[in-house]
Amino acid sequence: MAHSRSHIWFVGPAVILMFVILILPIFVAGIFSFTDYNLGSTDFRWIGWKNYEALGKYSAYRKMFTASLTYVVIVVPVSVFLGLGSAMLISSLRFGGEFYKAIFFLPVMATLLAMAYAWEFTLDPVMGVLNKVLDDGCSVGWFYKFFTGSWLGFNPTESWYGGLCSDRMPNWLGNKKYALGSIAFIGIWQAFGFNMVLYLAGLMAVPRDLYAAAEIDGANSTWEKFKLVTWPMLGPTHVFVVTITSIRSFQVFDTVEALTRGGPSKSTYVMVYAMFEKGVKQNLIGMGSTLTIVFLGFVLLLTLTQVFFINRKVHYS
Amino acid sequence: MAEIQLKGISKSFDENKVIKSLDLSIENGEFITIVGPSGCGKSTLLRIIAGLESQSSGDVIIDSREVNKVRASERDLAMVFQSYALYPHLSVQENLMVPLKLRRLSRLERFPLLNWFLPNRRSKIIELEEKVLQAAETLQITHLLGRKPGQLSGGQQQRVAVGRAMVREPVAFLMDEPLSNLDAALRVHMRAEISELHRTLKTTFIYVTHDQAEALTMSDRMAVMMDGEILQLDTPNEIYNKPFNLQVAEFIGSPKINILPAESDDKGEITCMGLTMSQSLRSPKQGNILLGLRPEHTDLLTSNSKNCFNGKITYKENLGSDIYLHVILKEGQHKMIVRTEPGKAIDTKIGDTVKIGLMVDKLMAFEKNGQYIPIKSES
Repeated sequence: MAHSRSHIWFVGPAVILMFVILILPIFVAGIFSFTDYNLGSTDFRWIGWKNYEALGKYSAYRKMFTASLTYVVIVVPVSVFLGLGSAMLISSLRFGGEFYKAIFFLPVMATLLAMAYAWEFTLDPVMGVLNKVLDDGCSVGWFYKFFTGSWLGFNPTESWYGGLCSDRMPNWLGNKKYALGSIAFIGIWQAFGFNMVLYLAGLMAVPRDLYAAAEIDGANSTWEKFKLVTWPMLGPTHVFVVTITSIRSFQVFDTVEALTRGGPSKSTYVMVYAMFEKGVKQNLIGMGSTLTIVFLGFVLLLTLTQVFFINRKVHYS
Repeated sequence: MAEIQLKGISKSFDENKVIKSLDLSIENGEFITIVGPSGCGKSTLLRIIAGLESQSSGDVIIDSREVNKVRASERDLAMVFQSYALYPHLSVQENLMVPLKLRRLSRLERFPLLNWFLPNRRSKIIELEEKVLQAAETLQITHLLGRKPGQLSGGQQQRVAVGRAMVREPVAFLMDEPLSNLDAALRVHMRAEISELHRTLKTTFIYVTHDQAEALTMSDRMAVMMDGEILQLDTPNEIYNKPFNLQVAEFIGSPKINILPAESDDKGEITCMGLTMSQSLRSPKQGNILLGLRPEHTDLLTSNSKNCFNGKITYKENLGSDIYLHVILKEGQHKMIVRTEPGKAIDTKIGDTVKIGLMVDKLMAFEKNGQYIPIKSES
């Protein structure tokens, strides 16, 4: 066969597009990360690793890593276990499963930015429905007893809720003690529906015969069957869910932008928000690029861990 | 070892009655096969015995203990599944250990980490490993112990599934079409091995299959099940030679039995397509009947004979040792399958007209509705 060059025409456009759209921007960001380029200025200087050194030097960036990692560490395990738990509960239902699926999946479908405003109203320190309930709860006997832990014999005035009752309800988004936790709570609320759907799909793929075999083999409690069949058979799903949730949690931005703008005192200053602040708001392209590259490094690390270490252990054939 | 009795078992899924008031009594150490076409309820019946499914009514009795309310895990039965249902994340050895660990170790001894501090655990585990090794040796799978099920061939997985069933010495084995995922040659081989295993273990085996060849070759007794009922329960020989009705006759035997229309007169004399048979009915009854004749009870004839049909060959199946000729009979255009030796059929071609001889003493007679009619044995 004569050498035809038609393959170039088939592959070429895709390769060029991939390069221009995906690879080139990363490459450019990599270059910019070694400069002090500002958007609008006509020239820039090479400053070597100074941008990267700044990440370690300034407390704002240290707070950024703390905020991002804390957020991931809270959101990933909680939303994964909630997702698994709700998926198992729903799949054990004889009817009504579709109803719960729809409800838990709603936050995933809704625009997070719009939902963030709804949360802002809920969490408002004065008018918010949450603080209203907590405030009124102080004078409801059983509610007060339950949340102060006095039904377990604790001293109600020393407890967290007891303290709030005698003082005032927290400013969920404005207090640096609570802000990241509140953002993480919204993140969990939003993410676990998605994880639930993934787990539901995973549970459907577990062969029924394995449960029958486990029962015959003497696994007579739900817990034994979960240990012997459900948990290991969900292996590939676990890896996928954890990876996806970690990456998505690293990417958290809309809630921060809408509710706290990184504050108070940088307690919710997550990486993507920092990127946005430096690169877009302050036009510091050099620093923005540096953050982008570091962020990319984190995500790449997660993905590679999945591919090289975990995937081998969870695919059994 | 166990005696298993089913009394008036019925099962419905919604409106659909899958099993209709079924009685079955299985003796200690017996190899019984439940055979029937797919959808006849045989797998459901097995799952009811196992306790994986609950019956709508009736009793399951194992060793004179009524177990209707007893969980599957407490019935002390073992089951081999069609899909093998091995735990894919565990090695073969761990798979075989599962039933032992779940039954012989206490909850505390199975608790992760904590169990390391329990004094007797180590010696118990060693004892169990010994049992696993014994089972593996019986099934010749010792070299596979370290592998995962995904790395095994179908036949090997099958052995592991049997191994997992036998390690803990259950009172009975339940097998749900265990060979149907294997290729033909291996299936024949495993048939012999499972029979052998039954002889060694001397335990009750209940074996469900849709393959009549498995049922005929392996069982002490077989139960032919159709539409949720057991039509006939007897030794393979009896069922093959004296089927309860036409349905059973047609289901058991491969190729299928030939069915031809015939008449009987008031003396019980049978005439089939102009040919008078030397056999007659035990209790004479005038009317139309059906005659059944298995392919191996027919043959090609070289010379004319009294009992002989003429027909045209439409298809020829050469199996090496036998040749099956599909023939359309001249009289009445009925289809028939004739077994013959290769020597006799070597020159025949499709389209040839041949003479077919019948072994009349093997004839079976059925009413129009399928009921078996006894034939007077040759005097």
